[in-house]
Amino acid sequence: MAYPTNPIYKLQKDPIYGKVCAVNKQIGDSEPYRILSIPFDEANTDYQEYLEWAKTNTAEAAD
Amino acid sequence: MSTLKVDGIRSNSASSDAITLASDGTCTANITNRSNRNKIINGAMTVHQRSSSVTGITSNGYQTADRMLLNVSTGTFTNTISTDTPDGFGSSFKIDCTTADTSLSAGDNVLFKQRIEGQNLQDFAKGTSAAKQFAVSFYVKTNKSGVYTVELSDIDNSRIATKTFTVSDSNWNRYTLIFPADTTGAFDNDNAVSLDLIIWLAAGTTFTSGTLNTSSWASKTNANRVSSSNVNIADSTSNEWYLTGVQLEVGSVATDFEHRSYGDELLKCQRYFCKAAEKGGSDHSAGMGTNYSSSVGYIHVRFPVTMRTNPTLDQITGTSYYRIFSNGSYETFDSFNSLDTATVTPQCAEVLKSGISITQGSANFVRYQHSEAEIRFSAEL
Repeated sequence: MAYPTNPIYKLQKDPIYGKVCAVNKQIGDSEPYRILSIPFDEANTDYQEYLEWAKTNTAEAAD
Repeated sequence: MSTLKVDGIRSNSASSDAITLASDGTCTANITNRSNRNKIINGAMTVHQRSSSVTGITSNGYQTADRMLLNVSTGTFTNTISTDTPDGFGSSFKIDCTTADTSLSAGDNVLFKQRIEGQNLQDFAKGTSAAKQFAVSFYVKTNKSGVYTVELSDIDNSRIATKTFTVSDSNWNRYTLIFPADTTGAFDNDNAVSLDLIIWLAAGTTFTSGTLNTSSWASKTNANRVSSSNVNIADSTSNEWYLTGVQLEVGSVATDFEHRSYGDELLKCQRYFCKAAEKGGSDHSAGMGTNYSSSVGYIHVRFPVTMRTNPTLDQITGTSYYRIFSNGSYETFDSFNSLDTATVTPQCAEVLKSGISITQGSANFVRYQHSEAEIRFSAEL
């Protein structure tokens, strides 16, 4: 699975219902990578960071 | 045998009893060093689920000791869990400057921070007429002598109070700082961050050009946050700084450090960060689940404690890091797709993998296949 570096976030779809279910962020450019899968929860600080980023950027669409 | 019959026990210089005895044979005591008084989690640096050593640190993050946030905007640092400690401790949080910056830019900073949920701070009665003082204590050892700034930052009301301490030798020393009560601005009673405890290790003029609020709380102004005499821990690659025994408690007395068992401390830390399984070798069991279709499998992970909020899935990935077993065969893959917002809760998560060839309807189980593979969950503040 290819992950973008710019934009750094990529939306993910739930294969059962086909709805966007999370946003992923890859950290690092060589193995081992970290992939954060962030739930849409306003109390989650990773999601807060994503929302701040998304004010001026757009995440890559889900496959 | 004789009996001492009194109604109370009081210090000669006190205005109230330390122990009050009742006619029914019971007593109440005003004890300062009671259990569960330390608001700091992992203050003795015993728990380090992520790593015991991280090199090349140039940005903010949780590196080694759980709950201990290291902010770095200048220089490069190594952060390790050290066995160099004061008597009575087993671990300390060490940072070591490996690339120096002798001339800080205005916005540069290096700091240690713990973020605390508002619902764990209600007994400070902040924002009321019954507001209590904040007693902060910790042990520091460093070869970088000089002035350091400690800040309490009320996130809910954008208010700060600051104190300084001076390191004058390279031994372990305990420092105690009593911060004033604040009758303005209550802490929110929720699971979001309400208070930051910060030890400033370097700060540019953005933070040092004003006047410290050492005797009372005041509205947060960046220029007033740090002493203009604060050290710059990044100014030499010889600089080393150790910390342990961090404690924040209600009142005007900094009591002895409250030691908790490793198991108790780990459970407190897992509210913010936990793992499906420890990394370190092939075939560590990561979880069990079901093959929803011939190409999509789910595993169900239940967390060891209820987490602070719905957590982020944080997976360490690479070529052939994971393997799913079902119906008499297995398939190896690099990473999971994601968790699902609709189904994740602070108690458990479904982690999904698509694009594999499996048997629909079969049960499955997943194992790590690389020494670095690891599935973690983070709900940090």
